[in-house]
Amino acid sequence: MAVREQTGTSRLQRKLDQHGFTRRDFLKYCGCLAGMMGLSSLAAPQIAEALEIGAEEGGLKPVIWLEGGSCTGCTEALTQGTTPDIPQLVLETIALNYSETLSAAAGHSLEQARRETIEAGGYLVVYEGAVPTAYDGNILLVAGEKGTDILLETAKGAEAVIALGSCACDGGWMAARPDDAQAMGVQRFLSEQGVDVPVVNIPCCPANPEWLTAVIVEYVLNGTLPELNDRNEPAALFNQTVHDNCPRRGHFENGEFVYEFGSEEEAKGYCLYPLGCKGPQTYAPCPITRWNRSLSWCVEAGAPCAGCAVINPMNPQGNWVDENTPFLDRHKDFAVGPISFQPTTVAAGLTVLVVAVLGVHCAGMKLAGRMDGGADFEAERRWDARHDKPAAHEAAARAQQLYDDLDELGLELKNTGAHRKRDAAGRKKATAVEVAAKAQGRAASDNAGASAAPAEDAAADLADLLVRPTDEPEGGDK
Amino acid sequence: MAHLAHYREAHPLPMVITHWVNLIAMIVLILSGLEIHYPLVPGVMGIARGLHMFFAFVLVVNCVVRIVLAFVAKSAPAGGTRRLVRDYKTWLPQRDNKHQLWAWISYYLFLRREHPIAAKLGVPQKIVYLLIAPLIFFTAYTGFCLWGPTMGWPIFTWGTQLVGGAMNMRVIHYFCMWVFIIFMCIHVYLSLVEGASPATLIFFWKETPGLVYDPDTMNITGFDGMGKEPDYGETFKDPVRAAADAAAVAEREAAREGAE
Ligand code: HEM
Ligand code: HEM
Ligand code: SF4
Repeated sequence: MAVREQTGTSRLQRKLDQHGFTRRDFLKYCGCLAGMMGLSSLAAPQIAEALEIGAEEGGLKPVIWLEGGSCTGCTEALTQGTTPDIPQLVLETIALNYSETLSAAAGHSLEQARRETIEAGGYLVVYEGAVPTAYDGNILLVAGEKGTDILLETAKGAEAVIALGSCACDGGWMAARPDDAQAMGVQRFLSEQGVDVPVVNIPCCPANPEWLTAVIVEYVLNGTLPELNDRNEPAALFNQTVHDNCPRRGHFENGEFVYEFGSEEEAKGYCLYPLGCKGPQTYAPCPITRWNRSLSWCVEAGAPCAGCAVINPMNPQGNWVDENTPFLDRHKDFAVGPISFQPTTVAAGLTVLVVAVLGVHCAGMKLAGRMDGGADFEAERRWDARHDKPAAHEAAARAQQLYDDLDELGLELKNTGAHRKRDAAGRKKATAVEVAAKAQGRAASDNAGASAAPAEDAAADLADLLVRPTDEPEGGDK
Repeated sequence: MAHLAHYREAHPLPMVITHWVNLIAMIVLILSGLEIHYPLVPGVMGIARGLHMFFAFVLVVNCVVRIVLAFVAKSAPAGGTRRLVRDYKTWLPQRDNKHQLWAWISYYLFLRREHPIAAKLGVPQKIVYLLIAPLIFFTAYTGFCLWGPTMGWPIFTWGTQLVGGAMNMRVIHYFCMWVFIIFMCIHVYLSLVEGASPATLIFFWKETPGLVYDPDTMNITGFDGMGKEPDYGETFKDPVRAAADAAAVAEREAAREGAE
């Protein structure tokens, strides 16, 4: 009885009561947490208990919340307007010591709190916003101190740093072209500075507070960070795409698309792919956790996913803004200096150019009379002729002889199955017999010339076969 | 003037089939790929993606088969001859093609009048066709990276990370398609511009008469009329075929006489 009494009115529970949340709400939330931590939702009661005991025993995990080059949107997302929700309450109860935006303290007393926390050790850092490094870090000063120094100093003693929001992950908006601030993410900055502390990236613009709470709760309860993927994001959260779990996915597969805002298709809630939805390329659990107390999220609300979860922690130039603008086009723009263009423009333009060149080339081929079987062959390869190779000369001489013979007979060779007779040239028309006789004569004289290639025997045989008694070979002219 | 004779030995039947498969797969992939890129035709996205993946496998398997064929099948090293060598040898540098890169380029740039004498595949042709196989495999790789984004196979996530994410992978895959389209424009143009003979051979396995090439002396020695008109010069036919062709010629001439 006494025990029940105690848990029933734990510090956390009292706080929740104050804000009108029932125990059922709390347990439901703990079930969600379990899901995000990769546990079965059956673990909800244990999580609830652990959270309450943690809060009760004053085992507050100190969390230092730093603002870098940020718009404070991630903080806003956590505090969500008028009333706090359960994740925020939980976070406040188990953690959170120092926040530039939220703290009641201000100025020097706040800085003092940070120093004391660092000295005491055993704390986590949440870093919001990009790390602007231009002008040697002087671009961002807090209480007269460089933001980069504050991050370094605070991160060195931390158990882990959580980079909250896409800006903190890889520079985000700050690093977008033209990137005057030379911004980068926490992970890259710390590794460049040789600070060896685990970094957890929680992307999105802003980051969903539920994901942050899940990571901190897991750390507080288990003493371990969640399993991370190769972008250092919690794998349980960020290994599936928005497209994988999107409620409009059925429309995608059926080929039911919104091509225009304000259209009938939009009213029907069709898939936003043609409007540049980046869901297929964006790894985030938005459709599952959803936003604003699980109320809705971008695509559900009718906006194509802008891909704000796309991060490249070690490469600020791969920030989600540059990777995904224009937001309403299927592909990103490429930028060369100040000019940006769509991949399709370049590719289709190049193809049209190639086709045009081929058209011109085709006209050239026509003019050069090559369309009808190609130009005449060279008798000898040019390189051979220049390099004086006896064997090549010999072969060339024979080829030339062949062409001369044909000329003499007034024959033009055609692939289409006929020797065309060149009447216009006023030449004598050749008959099969004449042709064969000529061939035989040449083969015979070659044989006499004692250059006995086996092929020539075959040619002689062939000539024999061709010379047969067809006395009146020439038919009528047509 | 005529081309070299187009003998079946240049493109044996299995290669004719792989070429057909290549053509069909490529057309389906391009059309379905364009639909995936931007679904201009509503209602067929599921079909387009299904076809795209199916023909992706067809294309890759076909390419592998073609490569294996190169080592097991034989083909003629040059046009205008029925002599056979292992097909892969016709893809390597050949004596017949020595120092001919510029010869071919200058021919097509109208800087020279005469057609270069060459092996079955001219130098630029050889280079470009050889690049097609790696390009098919590369395109397939980028396509597979897009196919199973959630399966997280390390071999695919590795490449996706390398190019900076799935968006870049998509754009690269998309560009690959345009490389194929440009290749096809040039390829089809060049294979048709000097007459239909090359195409009738690769598609319908139909031979056409033409000049005869002697791979030993690496030059032209005669003309093979393939039984329609008199042959000329040294044609290197085997005696049986020569007899058949000669008989056909005699028959035609007799028929013509009769008509008279
Ligand atoms: C050879 C193996 C190939 C595989 C495995 C493959 C696979 C894929 C996959 C999975 C997609 C994305 C589908 C989606 O996100 O739902 C895709 C898109 C596409 N594929 Fe392929 N593909 C292959 C070859 C080709 C070829 C040869 C072409 C064209 C010649 C091509 C053209 C395209 C195009 C244009 C897209 C749309 C890209 C975009 O704009 O997002 N694919 N392919
Ligand atoms: C209407 C379309 C096409 C036509 C008219 C055509 C015609 C030809 C011809 C005539 C050849 C033989 C070249 C020679 O050795 O003289 C050839 C070979 C070849 N073609 Fe095509 N082709 C077409 C489409 C394609 C496509 C779509 C591809 C693949 C992207 C392709 C790839 C190849 C390759 C790799 C060869 C090398 C020969 C071999 O495999 O043995 N072709 N084509
Ligand atoms: S709206 Fe976007 S994420 Fe949803 S199914 Fe369509 S393309 Fe995929």
